Amino acid sequence: MALDSSPTPPPAGVLPMISMRGVGKSFGAHRVLQGIDLDVHAGEVVSLIGPSGSGKTTLLRCMNFLEAYDEGEVWIRGALLGYRRTPSGALAPETDRGIAEVRAPVAMVFQQFNLWPHMTVLANVTAPLTLAKGMRPDRARAVAAEALARVGMAAKADAMPGELSGGQQQRVGIARALAIHPEVMLLDEPTSALDPELVDEVLEVIKSLSRDGMTMVMVTHEMSFAAEVSDRVVFMEQGRIVAADTPGRIIRHPEHPRLQAFLRPWFRRSLQGGAQAGAQA
Amino acid sequence: MNAATLAERLHAYLPVLLAGAAHTLMVSAVAILAGFALGAVLLGLSLARGGRGPLPALVAAYVSFFRGTPLLVQLLMMFYLPSAAGLDLPPLAVAMVAMAANSAAFQCEILRAGLSAVPAGQVEAALAFGIAPRQVFRYVQLPQVARAVWPAVVSEAIDVIKNSAIVSVIAVADLARGGRQIVAANFRPLEVYLTVGASYLLMTAAVFAAGSWLARRTGKGRALSARVVNRTAIRS
Amino acid sequence: MIDFTLLAELLPVFGQAALRTAALVAAGMAGGLLLGFAMNAMRETGLRPLAALYWAYTTLWRGVPFLVHLFIVYFGLPSVGLRFDPFQAAALTLAVYSGAYFAEIFRACWQRIPRGQVEAARCMGLTRRQVFTHIACPQALRASLPLIANQAILVMKESALASVITYPELTMTAGKVVAEQFVYVEPYLLLALSYWALAVLINRLGGWLRRRAAL
Repeated sequence: MALDSSPTPPPAGVLPMISMRGVGKSFGAHRVLQGIDLDVHAGEVVSLIGPSGSGKTTLLRCMNFLEAYDEGEVWIRGALLGYRRTPSGALAPETDRGIAEVRAPVAMVFQQFNLWPHMTVLANVTAPLTLAKGMRPDRARAVAAEALARVGMAAKADAMPGELSGGQQQRVGIARALAIHPEVMLLDEPTSALDPELVDEVLEVIKSLSRDGMTMVMVTHEMSFAAEVSDRVVFMEQGRIVAADTPGRIIRHPEHPRLQAFLRPWFRRSLQGGAQAGAQA
Repeated sequence: MNAATLAERLHAYLPVLLAGAAHTLMVSAVAILAGFALGAVLLGLSLARGGRGPLPALVAAYVSFFRGTPLLVQLLMMFYLPSAAGLDLPPLAVAMVAMAANSAAFQCEILRAGLSAVPAGQVEAALAFGIAPRQVFRYVQLPQVARAVWPAVVSEAIDVIKNSAIVSVIAVADLARGGRQIVAANFRPLEVYLTVGASYLLMTAAVFAAGSWLARRTGKGRALSARVVNRTAIRS
Repeated sequence: MIDFTLLAELLPVFGQAALRTAALVAAGMAGGLLLGFAMNAMRETGLRPLAALYWAYTTLWRGVPFLVHLFIVYFGLPSVGLRFDPFQAAALTLAVYSGAYFAEIFRACWQRIPRGQVEAARCMGLTRRQVFTHIACPQALRASLPLIANQAILVMKESALASVITYPELTMTAGKVVAEQFVYVEPYLLLALSYWALAVLINRLGGWLRRRAAL
């Protein structure tokens, strides 16, 4: 679908948080995403799963325009992301400021944490508030303290990121995202870079956020966790959405043969136990 | 005149050598500081507008010329070509300009390496949170670049001091020329030039020690605290 | 602005001068590599006095400007009976000076060899010398090639100072033409181009050597 066609925006009644229609992306000759149609509604937790190279991370990064999609359209709460419509109806690239405005309600948590190592933990959380939102320093510090407390890192406010474990750093990353009071959080494999024993503390925080009703889109390999916490699971392969449904139908009782193949190693290792593995084998 | 002991002779050399050393340090200081400023400007020009346009190629040509040809050649060209056109420039000024222009090429590349050493993910995160590119540069990239390039800058400073000996060729009264003057008078080249060599060694060792001390002082835990980031944010 | 007939006339003169610069660079590189390798090998023996000698050499030679080294050798040594002609003085000084840099390059490459490999070899009964020859040398030398190629350019640039002690290499030749014929643009243009051409040649040579070594 070319950029200058005009698919209809979603109905104004219940505006999805994020809306994608016909989204596609290529890196040179390599087609990474094609024909993506996806809606994420307020309060939903959506997990993106699939094999490596399936385009899950690229799809996530299109949601806050860290990747510029080539085809289709992405709306954040009804506002077009990354492009603006010219009088003739075509799409033209949006300015940096325009992009920042549209993606302001979106916050991201990165696989490699991406904390700023030369700033204290507190400074890491206040920087987006004071620099991007122009908040007053004392107010920013209060908001940051609240966010750090929410993830259990209040005691480490004056520590440097280098002094923290991976799990602690990622929790700071989550606090940094929370502090801007986002309406939707994007989590890019939040626990993939962590040692196994540190994974749980981060998953606990994410779980509690979902209980508070935070809208989240998460790329993850933690199948049990995805099944437990998600409202919807989206399975991707080779740049397309192959299946999207409840965790029950995608993870626990997959019907799609490729899904079954993808999940087989997890089934064998999962807590569902021998019976399930025996049935799938 | 038959100067007596080695100690007495060395004592007699001191005034000339100290005056020369002062010139050496002055020329070097100007070259290092101006070179840093110009190098930063060059880097800014070559990165502007995402590396499009003729500027990056021009900067690359500048760097290639000044890093690829001998400093002596650059100095001679800057001294003699203007005089062919009728301009008589003072040797000291030419020396400072030539050395600054030379050092700028090296410092441009040092800064470039330092900038690319800042992980792209950190810049990406900052931009994703809506922090403007200028502020990303000032609060995320610059502090880390400064820390990363320090050893290379100290090394370049030492090179500049050593290179400064070349300006004696266009009659700048630096330390090397001071040595030549003394030798012309007392015909003891080995002793005098060894003393000159020792003096340079002292200077380069001092710069190295100072550089290491400064690195220890500013590197240790002097992090950007929340107060600093927030207070400066208000001003910008 | 540029007198092209003059340029053409000057080409053979500069060509010869370029050969002399190349000779200096070759001598400096050959001597420097041997000396640098020997000094690093000496340091690798682990004996304290030899290590001290290494540090004294690399610190003293790298801490003093090359011009001063040249003056000491060409003007100073005759007073103790060692007389060199300009080429000998320049080549010798260049070799010993760049030797200090090569020693440091080799030290860096030797130290980059994972400790585990050395330990494994020693456990299996290899002597220090065998480890040096069969384990360390092949890997470290290969790793050092880019650094050596870079240093060659630096040697080429330092060779210009031989003009100060009247060896008729490129820089001195250009100066001569300027002084004798009162022309400025053409000689300096040829001078810059000659060094640039030499640098390209050195880089090509370095690339070819690296490809050969990668086999």
